[in-house]
Amino acid sequence: MPTTKTAKTSRSSKPKTTSTPTTVSDFTILPLTLPSVVLPEIYANASHYLYIKPHAPSHPTASADRSLFIANVPIDASESNIRALFAEQLGGSRVESVEFDSAVPAVAGVKRWRDINKGGDSQGEGRGKKRKRDEDIVAEGVVEDKESRLPQIWPGELRASGGTAVVIFVDERSAKGALREVQRVVKDGRSARWIEGEGLGLQRYEKHHALKYPPKEALQSSINAYLTQFNRAEIARNRLRSKQRSVPDEDGFITVVRGGRTGPARLEEAEKKKAELEERKKKNGVKDDFYRFQTREKRKEAEGELRRKFEVDKRRVEEMKMRRGKTKPQA
Amino acid sequence: MAPPVPKRRKLQHVEESVRGADSFAGDRVQVQHGITQEKQTPSSNAQDGGRPHKRRDQTIQDGVYTAEVYKSNMFKLQVDELLQQVKPRYGKKEAPAENAMRTLKGIIEQLPGRAPVSISEAETTLKSHGIAIPFPNPRPPKDAKYKLQYDRPSSINATGSYPLKIATRADNGMAIDLVVTMPKALFQEKDYLNHRYFYKRAYYLACLAAGIKACKDHTFRVSFDCLNGNQLQPIIVIDPSGDGDANDFSGSKCLIHILLAVPEKTFVERKMLPSSNCVRPKGVEEESEGKTLSPTPFYNATLQSDATITAYLKFLHATNTTCDAYKDACVLGRVWLKQRGFGSELRKGGFGNFEWAATMAVLLQPNPGAGGSPLSTGYSSYQLFKATLQFLAYKSLSKKPYVFQAPDVTFPKADASPIIFDGPRGLNVLFKMTPWSYSRLQLEAKSTIETLGDSTFDHFESTFILKTNLLKYRYDACLEIPMSAFGLDPTSEEYDEELVEACRKTYNILTRALTDRVTALNFLMPDERGWDVSVSKPLEDQERSILINVATDPSNANRAVDHGPAAENKKEAASFRQFWGDKAELRRFKDGSILESVVWSLKDTSAPVLEQIVLYILEKHLSTQVADKARFTSDSFAHLIPSGRIQAQSGVSSFLPSMNALAIVEKDIRALEGLPLQIRHIFAADSRLRYSTVEPPTTTMARSIHAPASIVVQFEGSARWPDDLCAIQRTKIAFLLKLTDLLSAAQPTYSARVGLENPSQPSQNQAYLDIILPSGFAFRLRIHHDREATLLDRQLKDKSLDGQSRESAASALAVYKRDFVNTPAHTQVLQTLCTRFLALSPAIRLTKRWFASHLLSPHFSSELIELLVVRTFLQPHPWPVPSCATTGFLRTLAWISRWDWRHVPLIVDFSSSFSNSPTDLEGTGPKGMKSEDIEKIQTRFEAWRRIDPAMNRVVIFAATNLDTEGTTWTDKSRPEKVVAARMTSLAKATTNLIKAEDDMVLSLMNGDVEQSERTEVFTPERLFVSQPQDYDIIIHISSKYTMSGKKKSKPAYKNLQIQNGAGNTHCGFNPAEMFARDLQSVYGDALLWFWNPENVDYIAGLWNPTVTGQRGWKVKPGWNSNPLFQSRKGSEKGGQEDQGIEIQVNKGAICNEIWRLGGELINTIDVNR
Repeated sequence: MPTTKTAKTSRSSKPKTTSTPTTVSDFTILPLTLPSVVLPEIYANASHYLYIKPHAPSHPTASADRSLFIANVPIDASESNIRALFAEQLGGSRVESVEFDSAVPAVAGVKRWRDINKGGDSQGEGRGKKRKRDEDIVAEGVVEDKESRLPQIWPGELRASGGTAVVIFVDERSAKGALREVQRVVKDGRSARWIEGEGLGLQRYEKHHALKYPPKEALQSSINAYLTQFNRAEIARNRLRSKQRSVPDEDGFITVVRGGRTGPARLEEAEKKKAELEERKKKNGVKDDFYRFQTREKRKEAEGELRRKFEVDKRRVEEMKMRRGKTKPQA
Repeated sequence: MAPPVPKRRKLQHVEESVRGADSFAGDRVQVQHGITQEKQTPSSNAQDGGRPHKRRDQTIQDGVYTAEVYKSNMFKLQVDELLQQVKPRYGKKEAPAENAMRTLKGIIEQLPGRAPVSISEAETTLKSHGIAIPFPNPRPPKDAKYKLQYDRPSSINATGSYPLKIATRADNGMAIDLVVTMPKALFQEKDYLNHRYFYKRAYYLACLAAGIKACKDHTFRVSFDCLNGNQLQPIIVIDPSGDGDANDFSGSKCLIHILLAVPEKTFVERKMLPSSNCVRPKGVEEESEGKTLSPTPFYNATLQSDATITAYLKFLHATNTTCDAYKDACVLGRVWLKQRGFGSELRKGGFGNFEWAATMAVLLQPNPGAGGSPLSTGYSSYQLFKATLQFLAYKSLSKKPYVFQAPDVTFPKADASPIIFDGPRGLNVLFKMTPWSYSRLQLEAKSTIETLGDSTFDHFESTFILKTNLLKYRYDACLEIPMSAFGLDPTSEEYDEELVEACRKTYNILTRALTDRVTALNFLMPDERGWDVSVSKPLEDQERSILINVATDPSNANRAVDHGPAAENKKEAASFRQFWGDKAELRRFKDGSILESVVWSLKDTSAPVLEQIVLYILEKHLSTQVADKARFTSDSFAHLIPSGRIQAQSGVSSFLPSMNALAIVEKDIRALEGLPLQIRHIFAADSRLRYSTVEPPTTTMARSIHAPASIVVQFEGSARWPDDLCAIQRTKIAFLLKLTDLLSAAQPTYSARVGLENPSQPSQNQAYLDIILPSGFAFRLRIHHDREATLLDRQLKDKSLDGQSRESAASALAVYKRDFVNTPAHTQVLQTLCTRFLALSPAIRLTKRWFASHLLSPHFSSELIELLVVRTFLQPHPWPVPSCATTGFLRTLAWISRWDWRHVPLIVDFSSSFSNSPTDLEGTGPKGMKSEDIEKIQTRFEAWRRIDPAMNRVVIFAATNLDTEGTTWTDKSRPEKVVAARMTSLAKATTNLIKAEDDMVLSLMNGDVEQSERTEVFTPERLFVSQPQDYDIIIHISSKYTMSGKKKSKPAYKNLQIQNGAGNTHCGFNPAEMFARDLQSVYGDALLWFWNPENVDYIAGLWNPTVTGQRGWKVKPGWNSNPLFQSRKGSEKGGQEDQGIEIQVNKGAICNEIWRLGGELINTIDVNR
């Protein structure tokens, strides 16, 4: 948690005597009135609270200056209702896009290589290792585009409870204006009205059930597109690998990677060979029971093993006793 | 007789005598110690004369090398611990009882003799003392010529297990026996005849009672009882007064029994042999004694047992000194018998502690006639115990008596009672046993022997700790017959014999009628109790009842036809017809044979076959009254699930249509031509295809809310697959599309469409093919490609990938193994097991219903629940394999309630009994798992606990021989710790209910509680009711979207439905369940959600206690929060500083969110907390 800065004293500026704080850290707390639904008495007038501050990521990005950071977004938040919130109720600032930190169902992840020989320059982007032509090289598959992506099977995303969002405005001015408006609303003791997400309830599940079974043609074309892209990506990956094969790392070693001239040794085969080798060694070496001391030691070892096992069992019984109390027949 | 007392003891005696000095004169104290010495010498002898070093310190050496003779280290250590716990310490606690015995001895020695009196005189004199003479039945004739007399006893001694140091502590008080030997002079040579001895004995006992009662030195409570419920042998029971005075020994938790003995050689031993007659029929002259009279073995043995009390004390003591482990083996035997409900009492089977000790002592003696001795003195206590059980289990003592040093004794062949005849003491040790108690003893012994033969698991618990005679767990059916139904007269002198006769007859007809349908028939008779000395023995309350418990053999129990002898076999056929009456009919069977047979109705509406048989045969052979009053209950939980009763010879008949549908689909898919690759395997991978869903799949599956049943297809290997996981998934989709085309061309009536899944994990399976048959069965087909495992494994080990990717590879690998390897294997095993164990499928389904009705199912994988039940069947000990749904279910719950999943893994060895049939207890086929395998699993389990001691990831560890990983079904907190704990507590509550019900049945049987007094009636349904008030939030689903609501709104005409075609597209559409899953993923750890997947009519939520508290402000607490000022005094200042702001979970807003998410699915939301 960042260290605190004194905000305006909320108590004095507040006409009402509600005990809700208006700021915390450098966040402004914006209450939202919720759509009315039939709830038990105590929750009938519940409000939702958004925590809003200017976006200040630890690795600055291009859009950081024109963004606001919102914590505790409602689970039905979407780009459209956040956009509407600012446009209609908070000064009319225009939102370019909204990035959420969580989605239910989660966004598909792509496997990537670890950045070994690189500083933090591309971390902000969070992207893959190298850019070749205009596509990422990822560890498997391809970065899908519109054509190669499988059809969506959920009509919309939900947010995990207590999630965050970054709202990117069209320019810096609208971002500042939006924050000012939020602060004004809070100062006046007003609250904004939350517009509930669309397509929830039965509709969501009915749609999902329908979307689960996409038309055959759509599927087929997406697969075709994917496989074409995949072939391209595979070529790129191979190029990368062949490069790795020839470039020593900082310690002067050359990484062994798939796709060498002779083809990679299969792990299974290597293990088999190793086992074979050991077997041969064993056959030719001195037998275990050749010398007397060997038998003697073996016997000693067996005895030690017995003793160890006994100790282990003793400990187990001891533990059992501790847990269960006395060993007594059930009454 | 007492050996010289070692010095060490003497010192102690001085101390004791100082303690006891205030109540006794000094010189008498010495005499008192006659008793104590006698009692204590055996043990001190064993210690001093035996191997002192070995007993005293339990060194490692001891353990390491004794493991061989004790099954295993664990077993031995636990046995040691057990012995320590159950043996009385012979210390401070028992001292008051010993004191009391000395007091009693003093009193008895001081009693003056009484002159001989006639019977009527005796009765009147003692009546004035407030004592009713406990004459046995038949009552003595009023005109008897002989006189009754009391004289000082020739000796008074402690006897029985307490002085031998083989006693065990018991909850209801241990009995310490004090034996008073009557002087020989009181008896005449012919007194053994016609109960004369017993009348004199009764008078003697009454005099003792009168004397003790009259003595003012003590405050004991005195009452009469019968020794082992044998009405010929009344005894005095001394209870502690309980008022805390000097003589009160209630702290010792024991009772003192005063027994009477007659000196040896008082009567001619030959007359007491089992083959002679000692009760002459009335009206027959005594002179005509001889061959024509039928022998009276029970009477003779009773008399002989009075004469051999001291002889046995000496004998057992001598055995004790020659065999070190004898004492411990006796204690083990006692514990074993007690946990199985055996006792010396006639009504408890007549095989108790004494019989065990005596049998073992006899078996330790070399028996010249019959080879070496069955037991050796060099055995360890465990070996002695096991060998004795083996002897009892496999020798048929009723057909071939075990005779010890009595070559020329003959035995009457009257009935099937067992005999171990101890020659030197002239007693059949087992004389109190009945044929049914003997067969029960054998059965239990066999089952324990089999248990102990298993080297994989140590079965200490099931052998000694578990109480196995709980009716609901042990037996499958119960027949309750009120005593009054037999129409016996309790006032009659022959009442006891008549009752035994009635039981014998019932036993015989039931055994004959039920044949191999049952494996055990156990008679449970009401307990007998002591009575006050001032009244005569109370009559048996006819409101009590007899319980006949039945263990069934599932493969025969529900057979519809009993085959009798062939028609040509005139004699047997006649007897068959006579036995079965009108029911018997002559039938011609398929194989051409013409047999007498009996046919029972198998209709669902009719009573179970067993009930039909039992009631019919009772009516036919006993009386209509018995049949009317008898109540027969069997498999009382089976009605809770559809087709829960085992039908004929199959427990899975209701699943047959869907299995047939699977076979058809498989055939059709294999028949497809034009697939790029050949199909190698098609595996079933669904609980519906392994007989283990609560509702058997029906033809309406296409319209049901459940997803279609999963099957897995594996194609032949090919090099043309891409070597990349994501690309493989797409290729699979291409395959599925191809399959769809081919299938709809070949089978136009099928509906087939490709569906997508796992949108968030592109490297996991992305698609499946739903196939809906015209019959209504639906299947979901996925493609298994084994290269995926290699690729995932490679990624897992690839150091150049970032951490997140490797983690996702790890979880994808786990999912792959579960879905494509373990589930099909598990399904296959369960299919086999369900056909092998008929009761398995119903038991699993019943257990699943229990989990579901307590809303636990969403947290437990179906396979885990199945494993829990399978464990009950594959490791049934101490019981036999369950043979109906009820016992399987209840025993599973009992095990769950005891299971300490924090420290003990669940290990199921599917291979363990694959080769032997469930009913055959003797067969021990090749076992699958070795103890090394178990060791490995145990190590893996311990490793998990070390990695994750808080159990955030793996809570329950369940491994099988097919899947030694142990986390396949339980990884990622399925269930979470709280949920697992809830399962345990629910199971505990359930087992307590069952136990209470069992106790209630017993007290009803004993007449302690009247049927009308019973406050609440136990119904099986009670175990299946969930408690919504336990949860914080209840979301009621609108009835339109619940199962029960759906059923109501079903359109009346099926053809309309089909025409609409709405059926198929809605297959597996279950909005309420999807809503619940959404809630789970949205609220994560903050709220735990529970619902019943069979019928989601409400979803219950529980706040995570770590969340509900207030905490300091945080950007991402992981739940919806509302800010508030830290509550502190002097709120004037509060809220100025940010430190003063805390957050708490915003329950109101969350409820609002839930409402927005659920929309019209929700009817109401209730909030409890």
